[in-house]
Amino acid sequence: MLLPYTLITAFTGAFFVYLSGKISEKLRNFLGFVVSLALLILVSLMYTKIGISHTYFSFLNYPLVLRVDWLSWFFGIAIVSINIFAVIFSFSDMKDKKRLDLFYLLMFLVNAGMLGVVLSGDLISFYIYWEIMSWSTFLLISFREEGFSAGLKYIILSIIGSFSMLVGMIILYSQLGTFDIAIIVEQMDMLSNGFAFSILILFGIAFGIKNALMPLHTWLPDSYTETESPFTAVISGMLTRMGMYGFLLILFVVMGVNRYILLAGGKYSFVLSWLGAITIIMGTFIALLQNDAKKLLAWHGIGQGGYMILGIAYGTAFSVAGGIFHTLNHAIYIVLLYFSVGAVEYRTGTRNLNNLGGLIKKMPVAFLGGLLGISGLIGIPLTNGFVSKWLIYKSLILNRSPFLAFAALIGTWGTILSVYKFLHNIFLGQLPLKYSNVKKAPFSMQFPIIVFSTAIILFGVLPGIPLGIVEKIMGKMGFKSLGVNIWGIASGTGSLNTLNIFFAILLVILGVYILYKIGFKSKRVLQEDTYAAGHYIPRDKYAYTTEFYAPLFDIIKPIFREWVSIFIEKLTGFGNNLSDRIRRIYVGDLGTYVLYIVLFLAFLIVSRWSIW
Amino acid sequence: MVILYGLGSILIAFMVGILFAGISRKVKARIHWRYGPPLYQPLIDIVKLFHQESVSHGFIFDFGIFFSLTGAIVTLFFIPIGYIVPLHESGGLLVVLYLMLIAPFGIALSSVEAANPNASIGISRKFILALGYEIPFLLILLSVMTYYGTISFVEIVEMQRESTWGIISMPITGIAFLLILPAMMGLKPFDLIGAPQEISSGPEVEYGGIYLAMSKIQHIFLIFINIALFVSLFLGGGAEPLTFFLKMLPVFFIILIMSTIYPRFRIEQAFRFCVRWPTILAFLGLLLVVWR
Repeated sequence: MLLPYTLITAFTGAFFVYLSGKISEKLRNFLGFVVSLALLILVSLMYTKIGISHTYFSFLNYPLVLRVDWLSWFFGIAIVSINIFAVIFSFSDMKDKKRLDLFYLLMFLVNAGMLGVVLSGDLISFYIYWEIMSWSTFLLISFREEGFSAGLKYIILSIIGSFSMLVGMIILYSQLGTFDIAIIVEQMDMLSNGFAFSILILFGIAFGIKNALMPLHTWLPDSYTETESPFTAVISGMLTRMGMYGFLLILFVVMGVNRYILLAGGKYSFVLSWLGAITIIMGTFIALLQNDAKKLLAWHGIGQGGYMILGIAYGTAFSVAGGIFHTLNHAIYIVLLYFSVGAVEYRTGTRNLNNLGGLIKKMPVAFLGGLLGISGLIGIPLTNGFVSKWLIYKSLILNRSPFLAFAALIGTWGTILSVYKFLHNIFLGQLPLKYSNVKKAPFSMQFPIIVFSTAIILFGVLPGIPLGIVEKIMGKMGFKSLGVNIWGIASGTGSLNTLNIFFAILLVILGVYILYKIGFKSKRVLQEDTYAAGHYIPRDKYAYTTEFYAPLFDIIKPIFREWVSIFIEKLTGFGNNLSDRIRRIYVGDLGTYVLYIVLFLAFLIVSRWSIW
Repeated sequence: MVILYGLGSILIAFMVGILFAGISRKVKARIHWRYGPPLYQPLIDIVKLFHQESVSHGFIFDFGIFFSLTGAIVTLFFIPIGYIVPLHESGGLLVVLYLMLIAPFGIALSSVEAANPNASIGISRKFILALGYEIPFLLILLSVMTYYGTISFVEIVEMQRESTWGIISMPITGIAFLLILPAMMGLKPFDLIGAPQEISSGPEVEYGGIYLAMSKIQHIFLIFINIALFVSLFLGGGAEPLTFFLKMLPVFFIILIMSTIYPRFRIEQAFRFCVRWPTILAFLGLLLVVWR
């Protein structure tokens, strides 16, 4: 009974939070926290009951089933953990904003929808929860007036994806006569290769849109930028990755890895891998050109999504493990980064990278979050992002796909440039005078930042904790064992030992510290007390933030443009033009219309004559 | 044993690096028709810097420089200097690739906590140049790893010892690596990061005393690591630390002479150079390896 109770808590909780908001603000916040905590506990309890399923309703003789396996638990626990911290973060971030009851209602509905998606054991439930999730997301993206067009973009693409998925479901039903995923898995052998391929393409469109795989990514940058920070954390951390869940479900649970790899001569795997690789490169390098902190991170969200897709599309044990693990890691650091930006925006009122700077002394916790977040995003050793990327690279190199590996690796170097600009322009360099009285972020913002920072280091030094669950997921999908240890991977073809690296770094940094203590003691001076070769550096005048990589931008700007958006804009422009021309036929003058009729009759007569 | 090996590789790298720094000053002086300082001058400089006063701008200013030096030293542990290789089964070349990031990243964090625009400009140049040379560098590493079919550093060296050196089996790739080595080490045509006349030594502008000493030590290790990478990947490493050193010497001289006779690039020239010739060569090399 655990499964239906979880969903009942999620859905009724959303409405109770909404109603309590009508009574008092404090009650709503308290209830919101209680509901998220209850969900966290309920999903954690499922750990002991992996494998159960429960038929909760019968719809036109089709049983609707809930079930939990390792894959859904993995995603479920991530969803509820991110939700609880997003709710905590929102207490101060959203304090003085309007229509808050609606905000919390939608936030909990999105959460409930996502839980429903990962827990549903048949395609009808899957589709229903998927739609609840998409529509509440649409309302949340267009929550602020500025976000309306972004929301519209999102929902149009989302509807395209939903219909594509629906067609796929109907094909499956027409061939196999069931919606139950467990039965579909058993009967998959009966499906011919042609149908299997078309299903993969149809579901691939739906999940590719959700996971912002190029060229279906156009909804993402605006949506991430225009939403409120707590919800940006949810949408970037987990909601976008529902696409990953879908891909994993359809490729490895339903289809099975052996069949997927060989399908259509491996073309599906090949195309999906390369789309992932292109997404990595374009996403990260377009991110480099952004000046809005949230937009920069949004483009990284696209790029990192490329790593996950590349990992699972490549289809070897290591790369799939890397893809799954990267989903979790990405969720952790991107949520942390959005919290950090949210805190800065809350205190300074801007997130424009050209106007900020030097906030490190003013907001140390937000800086810590930013620093660890970008370290994870780059994948510096001992942060979580490193292990998952290592798995993907290793698998690509050892299976002789160096060009895919190059795309993935060069993406990392593009990431370094842009996230360093992000960190530098917000926290380092010169502090503009107008921010000299900025206060620290409130505790309800600092607490989530500290928790997620800890998670980055913990999963970086001891990657075995989450990788153990990833290995169980992989075992269910029929992969061979990875050789996961608490400190990393022990396999014949090159193992990874993060604990070794950790202790090496610890010892060396201790040695360096002793060396520092031996030397002449340094004197603390103010940030502005600097040397400029005899010149005077006036405050507030020489902040080197705008066009941080100007010489590089001139070179790469013509290449890394939003080609897909440009194409769509051209297309809509062409359509507008064409319609405009057609409209001009109707001048509204009776004489002209008579002339049209005469001309048309003349045309008919002439054409008839010519035929004869 | 591991700790002893670790100390050993630090000591070797430091001594060799100091020697190279001394030689480079001497050779440059001879080319300029001067006598130049004695060979051990860089060591004297570092010892002197330990006793000089310095200023600090805050926690990250200190931590960044520790982190940078730590990154350089830990990278060193992965490089097989003869039989001395403290951390050989911990992720291989891919980890080295990432650890090499830490040194510049630490400097980048540390130097800009001070509100000095010169440091910011220097770091921005450093990252642009890094992107420029990483493109061919990644292609080169991928060629090597694909050719030998492993990501383990030690195995690559052993396989070369059994058959031929990497430079013979992959000559184009080796040449591409030689072309970007000065950029990776920040030597003459590419010394725009800390250009003293333009931006007051860039990232190092706020460093004095112990900080400058650490920055210099870090740079010395970096020179050692980059040449050692070339020797291990293309010249078959060395069975003994001594043979390893003997193989490093000619590589160092080639780079030194290249760097002494060229004037400084501007940043966009440097970037364009890196993504043009070395990249084309490295790409061809990778194509050859894949088609083989």
